[in-house]
Amino acid sequence: SRAGYKKMYFVTNNSTKSRAGYKKKFDSLGLDVPAEEIFSSSFAAAAYLEQTNFKETGKKVYIVGEVGICEELDLIDVPWIGGPADKDKAPDMGPGGALPHDKDVGAVIVGFDRNINYFKIQTAQLCINENENCEFIATNLDAVTHLTDAQEWAGNGSMVGAIKGCTGVEPTVVGKPSPLMIDYLVDKLGVERSSICMVGDRLDTDVLFGTNNGLQSVLVLSGVTSEEKLLSEENKITPDYYCDSIVDFFAK
Amino acid sequence: MARSVSAFAPSLVSRSPAFIKPKIRSNAFTCSSLNMAQVGRLTEPAGQMLDKTDVFIFDCDGVIWRGDSVIDGIPETLAKLRAAGKKMYFVTNNSTKSRAGYKKKFDSLGLDVPAEEIFSSSFAAAAYLEQTNFKETGKKVYIVGEVGICEELDLIDVPWIGGPADKDKAPDMGPGGALPHDKDVGAVIVGFDRNINYFKIQTAQLCINENENCEFIATNLDAVTHLTDAQEWAGNGSMVGAIKGCTGVEPTVVGKPSPLMIDYLVDKLGVERSSICMVGDRLDTDVLFGTNNGLQSVLVLSGVTSEEKLLSEENKITPDYYCDSIVDFFAK
Repeated sequence: SRAGYKKMYFVTNNSTKSRAGYKKKFDSLGLDVPAEEIFSSSFAAAAYLEQTNFKETGKKVYIVGEVGICEELDLIDVPWIGGPADKDKAPDMGPGGALPHDKDVGAVIVGFDRNINYFKIQTAQLCINENENCEFIATNLDAVTHLTDAQEWAGNGSMVGAIKGCTGVEPTVVGKPSPLMIDYLVDKLGVERSSICMVGDRLDTDVLFGTNNGLQSVLVLSGVTSEEKLLSEENKITPDYYCDSIVDFFAK
Repeated sequence: MARSVSAFAPSLVSRSPAFIKPKIRSNAFTCSSLNMAQVGRLTEPAGQMLDKTDVFIFDCDGVIWRGDSVIDGIPETLAKLRAAGKKMYFVTNNSTKSRAGYKKKFDSLGLDVPAEEIFSSSFAAAAYLEQTNFKETGKKVYIVGEVGICEELDLIDVPWIGGPADKDKAPDMGPGGALPHDKDVGAVIVGFDRNINYFKIQTAQLCINENENCEFIATNLDAVTHLTDAQEWAGNGSMVGAIKGCTGVEPTVVGKPSPLMIDYLVDKLGVERSSICMVGDRLDTDVLFGTNNGLQSVLVLSGVTSEEKLLSEENKITPDYYCDSIVDFFAK
């Protein structure tokens, strides 16, 4: 509640929009939230590049992903290639064929990409395997995601899996449950971790994100996790508390 | 009598007295012989290997051909091996063609090889379905891959969907959108697919995650492959990686270095593993395939592995012998 002056941030592992893009979604739902309170994994990728002074290398980024990552990199002035422009490309695979790749790519960022194709996979493979010290960064590893209400959709775990499968390299993951976003906030706000509460509906990304990083954690039942699953014998991830939804933060 | 695989474990330096003591070539760089991988050149091929071998398994790329050209001296060498009564099989992890498709490539290179001697990983996938009586389930296969797998499944009468037909499809991802998937898919086979797309990934994900007991089969896991001479190309490791990444399921791998093709041959031919010699140019797929399965193994330098890499300290995979190419199987 703003009246009680709690700070809040909204995190999503979905990299397809930038913070500004997500603000439009919040606006459309009647929620007045400044863009700076939104932590999309697209923003997390840009924050990581800032933390590691990527701009000083003078290199560029190859993006496997959608406009969110492109916009966030523009905001911090990091040059990039790829993204949506590589959507319908196919490499020359005839006799003697080769795919030319930019030797100045110093990092490949992989985010959810519904237009994933072999051209992008091969370009990423060449950059990571052949450009010295080229980084492999993933916005997140979610296996499936609710892109529409009607189905579970293959998530960025598949795009990242494709690049891992041809390079053998493990990516640096910037989204949940990596601690990067929390370290960024703790550093930026100068608060104690124990005064931060992570609230989510998934045990393996949200709650683990909290418990692994010294935060308080609350699981809400308003999303994908049922009370049955939370309390089942197989479940090893335990939040501090659970409730039906965040409405329960205030007693009736 | 079956030969113990452990007699040829890489950590052992001494060899049985029946073998001629291997000569370690000195290399241009300084390297103590204690630190080098212990592998000998094939200097007396008959005594070292030929006389005890009834069946050869040849990797194709880097052993028989490089890209689209046959390696010098190969046709004559194969003819000599046949004349000596040796059986031979040609294996490739590339699933894009069927055995019949690969025969055309052999023909175009002037190599007269019956299709039954060709073990493409497309054929290996079909052989696995036969071994496991897939047809009895009455289910169908969803193929992420190219025509080779489709043709091999047709040959054994297993119904399939997907393959090249899903090349330009995109799912409906608007509000309330969903991709309908066939509940009768009992196995997803993933082979190299230069037309991999999200439609195929999502279909495979739904089949594996939602169809009860749906299998996830991979023709091979090669990270990179020489599709053209000019470049290393992302291999089926990437297609398989995509499906692993959205399901968390490890596939059943039918191609090298999985033992499936060797078990199939041993069963079919009724030979001892020790009388089979694996010949290849890659340590981690070909030689390991041999050493892990009780076969003899020879590494040829006519492909991607250099003598330096073979003998380097970091290399832990040691074939029984190595030589420049299979032409060296016959002393000059």
